[in-house]
Amino acid sequence: MSTENPYAQYHVVKKGDTLSKIAEEYYGDKMLYPKIFEANKDVLQDPNKIKPGQKLRIP
Amino acid sequence: MRIAKTMVALAATALMLVGCASQKEPAEKAVAQVESSLAEFRADAEKYAAEELKGVEASVTKLKNNLASKDYQAVVLGAPSVASEVTALKDAVATKKADAEAILAAAQTEWTDLSAKMPQMVEAIQSRVDILSKSKKLPKDLDKAGFDTVKTEFESLKTEWTEASSQFASGMAADAVRKARGAKARGDAILAKLGMNS
Repeated sequence: MSTENPYAQYHVVKKGDTLSKIAEEYYGDKMLYPKIFEANKDVLQDPNKIKPGQKLRIP
Repeated sequence: MRIAKTMVALAATALMLVGCASQKEPAEKAVAQVESSLAEFRADAEKYAAEELKGVEASVTKLKNNLASKDYQAVVLGAPSVASEVTALKDAVATKKADAEAILAAAQTEWTDLSAKMPQMVEAIQSRVDILSKSKKLPKDLDKAGFDTVKTEFESLKTEWTEASSQFASGMAADAVRKARGAKARGDAILAKLGMNS
């Protein structure tokens, strides 16, 4: 069981979100979406498939 | 008449000598008792009440000087007062020692918390700084100047945290906690600037 970092930032997926949009919001650059995918491989199998309500860690 | 006066003088001298000799042992005992009492807590007195110890030591020295000068009456009369000074010092040292130990315990408790949080804070900020450094643009609400400030502040935070850890390892718990608090406050400000504190 891993200990959650209390300073980690999270994003709860909303309808219409994509990893690219989320990357643009947090990093200013949509092309950095693989960083978010890599950090959430425990909940995401495909970077193009995210669901509303998923809690994603934003590294 | 002259013989009578001489006899009286001789008798007085003899009485004085006997009196002095009879005070010698009590005077020696009194000095030994005061020194023994002080020795019990001298090490703590040096650590927690060095200035006050100097004052008491001066009084003990005066008593010993009187003993060396064979002024046994002065020793016997002065010893109770010096003994009271020693008792008062002992009480003061005990209080200061207890206060210092309480401060140390509190610092160690706070350090336990900080030493768990700080590495996590550094990790979170480092990750974001590394990613943003690769970004072609920056997120809304963060411009280049602001990001440069973040990077400079982050280096200062890491230096402060390293210094705090070193201080704690050297036994300076209170100093380490003070420095670590400063590092954490810097980290909180960085997180706010990066939009990571919500």
